[in-house]
Order: sequence, then structure tokens, then C-alpha cells
Amino acid sequence: MNNEFTEMLRPFLKFAGNGEISEESRLRDLGLDSMREIELLFAIEDTFGVAVPDDKLVDSTFATAGGLWDVVEELRAPVGGGTR
Amino acid sequence: MPEPTPAPSDDLAAAVGGALAGVDLADARAVWRALGTKGITAALYPRAGTGPPQPDPRSLAVLLAELDARCPLGVTLSVCVQVATVLPLLAEPSGPADRARTGLLHGETVVALAVTDAAGSGSDLLDATTWAKLGEGSFTVDGHKQWITNATTCDAALVLVRHREPRHFTSFCWLLVPMSAPGVTVEPAGRAFAGSGVGHLKFDGVVLDNDALVGRPGRALAGFARQVGVERLAGALWARAMCRRLLADLRDWLRQRPAAGGTLWDRPAIRERYARCLVALHQLDALCTPLLDSTDAPAAAAGMLLKVTAAEAVDRITAEAVQLRGADAFRDGGEAALRTEAAMFGIAGGATGAMLAGIADHADELVGSRS
Repeated sequence: MNNEFTEMLRPFLKFAGNGEISEESRLRDLGLDSMREIELLFAIEDTFGVAVPDDKLVDSTFATAGGLWDVVEELRAPVGGGTR
Repeated sequence: MPEPTPAPSDDLAAAVGGALAGVDLADARAVWRALGTKGITAALYPRAGTGPPQPDPRSLAVLLAELDARCPLGVTLSVCVQVATVLPLLAEPSGPADRARTGLLHGETVVALAVTDAAGSGSDLLDATTWAKLGEGSFTVDGHKQWITNATTCDAALVLVRHREPRHFTSFCWLLVPMSAPGVTVEPAGRAFAGSGVGHLKFDGVVLDNDALVGRPGRALAGFARQVGVERLAGALWARAMCRRLLADLRDWLRQRPAAGGTLWDRPAIRERYARCLVALHQLDALCTPLLDSTDAPAAAAGMLLKVTAAEAVDRITAEAVQLRGADAFRDGGEAALRTEAAMFGIAGGATGAMLAGIADHADELVGSRS
């Protein structure tokens, strides 16, 4: 995950404080509720210039920081590999 | 069918007055028809811009102030929800939604927004249990929506339905349900909000073609969350107009009401109470004014701040209008009756308690960092 992504994520995680956000971090455990997930979706789409497709609009996409980053990376670089 | 020719925005107030001349102002459908046929509704939506056409905030403010000055609260509510929320959500390139939108702009069609579910709190839509099950090229809808504005008068309802099991924002979609579809029943909600057509909708095995789907599946709550910012701005602009009207009427009344050789307006205690109302009105105005020239919907925190401020201003000002007028407030069409219905500013579209919880979630953004 790059720093831009984790810092974009942090304001949505009310229990994260200044602690580490790892790929395994479970976003709901860190305070992300479903209505805030909507705002996070908008933030991701605006920040990274992507549109999350229908098949990725499922609850599992928002389960962990790493899982969400994988979706962002896939949408940003559909033919190449991402960096983690 | 071409869209009606928009009325010039600088003449909008006069155009609204002209359109409503001779119209039964207690009949929401008649008011809606007049606004549509005279191009008032179309005038709210500038042609330029990307995304769903959104109402111009200044035009919206003029329309709502003119309606508030003339119509019962329920009639203004009927118009407000359609111009601020329903019309933008129906922006589709073709199909039933596009046809309904054209009918709305002409004032020929009324569409209800059916969100609040009988199975859950209106402030927590994730508990909704109105379901749409996908079959062979069709949806089957079952469920119950409550306290829906325009329910008893609409031609169709834009219904928020669950299409997936997880309690998550991606589990919902919009369906446009004709009221004539077999299995749709409506029950009036009672005498409150006269003119609004508020009622309860029941869907019992309602079968719809796939083209009843509006927007992308899984995006309904996200789209609604973005649109609700416009709805909250509309509510705040309406509240501002109502508060101004009440305070102007109250000032004039207090200045004429004899009291101990002078008038009530001369009494310091009354002037202080009135001044606190002015403070509340100007707090609301200060939040509304910067948004009047914005082309974007208010962000989530701004929308919630608007909603709470509007609700609290209406609550304070209607309460003072009743208390300061005393028995006079209970005349037909007086402030006492309005106060009862205007309490909806703190309930409909998100209760104040839920808004405050959401505002707290934005504390870092709203407070900023220590300098």
C-alpha cells in the first residue's frame, strides 16, 4: 500500500488514531461503518481517478486495507502489476 | 416530447407567482402541474455541467420561498422532494426513468421517493427489508415503505430496495414502480402534512421488467448519499424562508400589540427573545449563503451541519412565535399548527440525533489541526 492511500484512509477510521494501518487491518474493527464507506468510496474514486465497477461493489471489497488497495491498484493499472 | 421552455431565472419569483395565480394552493398536484406547464420546474436545472442535472441553489431558494409564502407546508414538501431529490435521481438516458423525468418536468407526472422502510429506522437504511428478487428478466418486489411523501397522489414511486443480503451499502438498488402495477397498495398516513400525499406503500409480489432498474445496482445508497446533500440544502433554504417569514410577521405583530401604554415590542425581555431568533436565522443564513453559487452538492459534513442548524432554527423560531403570540398562535393556519408540522425538519431525511453522530465522525475535518 502506498502512503497516499493509507493517509486517505485514516480519517475514515475513527479508532485508528496514529497507529499503523497494515494490509491486514480490518477496516470495520478500526471504526469504518457502512455509511462512512460511501464517503470512502467517493474519496477513492476522486483521489485515484478510478470508478469502482459493479462486480467490486460488494462488502468484501471494504473488509481489509490490503483488499481495498488491491482493488484500487487493479483499477489504476489493469494490464500491469501494482506495488505494495 | 421537448422539455418546457425555462422561465428566466431573474424573473423566477414573479414567474412562480404568475404560474400559481388561480391555482388551488392546497392541491399539490395542481401546484406541481402549474410549475411544470409554465416552465418553472425546468428552469431550476441549468443545462451545463456533468453528472445528473442538479437544481440551481439560487433558483431553488426562490421557488421554495415563494411556495412557503403561499402554500401549506405539505404542498411545499411535495414539490421540494421532487425537485431536490427525485428528478436528479431519475436522470437516465432512456427508458421508464427518463420518461418519468420528462413527465415530472412538464408537471404531468408525480413520483414519490420511497426510502423509509417499515422494518427499520428511517435514519438507518441498512436495516431495510423491502426486497427485489431477480428472476427471468424481471424483478419481484416485496416490502413496506412508511411515511412516504406523495404516496397517495403519485403515478410511480422510486423505491429503495435490497437486492443482496449483506448489511452493507452495496446491497441496494433503485426501482421505479408504477402505482398501477398489480400488488402495489397505498394507505394514507393520516391528517398530518395536508397536501403532501403522505402515506404508506405496500409491495406484495410486484413484478417489474428489468428496465424498472434506475442507475447501477449496488450504487443506490451511494447515489442517494450524494443527492441527500442537495436535499439538505433545499431543506435549509426552505427553513430559512420559513423562519424569515415567521419573524417578519412576529415583528409586525409585536409592534402593534398594545401593552402597558406601549407595545409588546417595547419590552426588553421580548426583544431579547426575538433577538435570539434573529441569531438562529443568521446562523442558518451564514451556512446557506456560500452554497448558493456552488455547482457541487454539499459534502457530507456540510449537509449534516445544514440539516441540524435548520432544524434547530425552525424549532426555536416556531416555539417563540407560539409563545410570544400566545392564544393568537392557535388561530386557523397559525403558528401553533405550523410548529407541529415543522418539527419534521428535525426528523425527515435524517433525525437530528443521527446527524450529530455523523458530524462527530467528521470532527478532525471540522475542527482542523492545532496551529
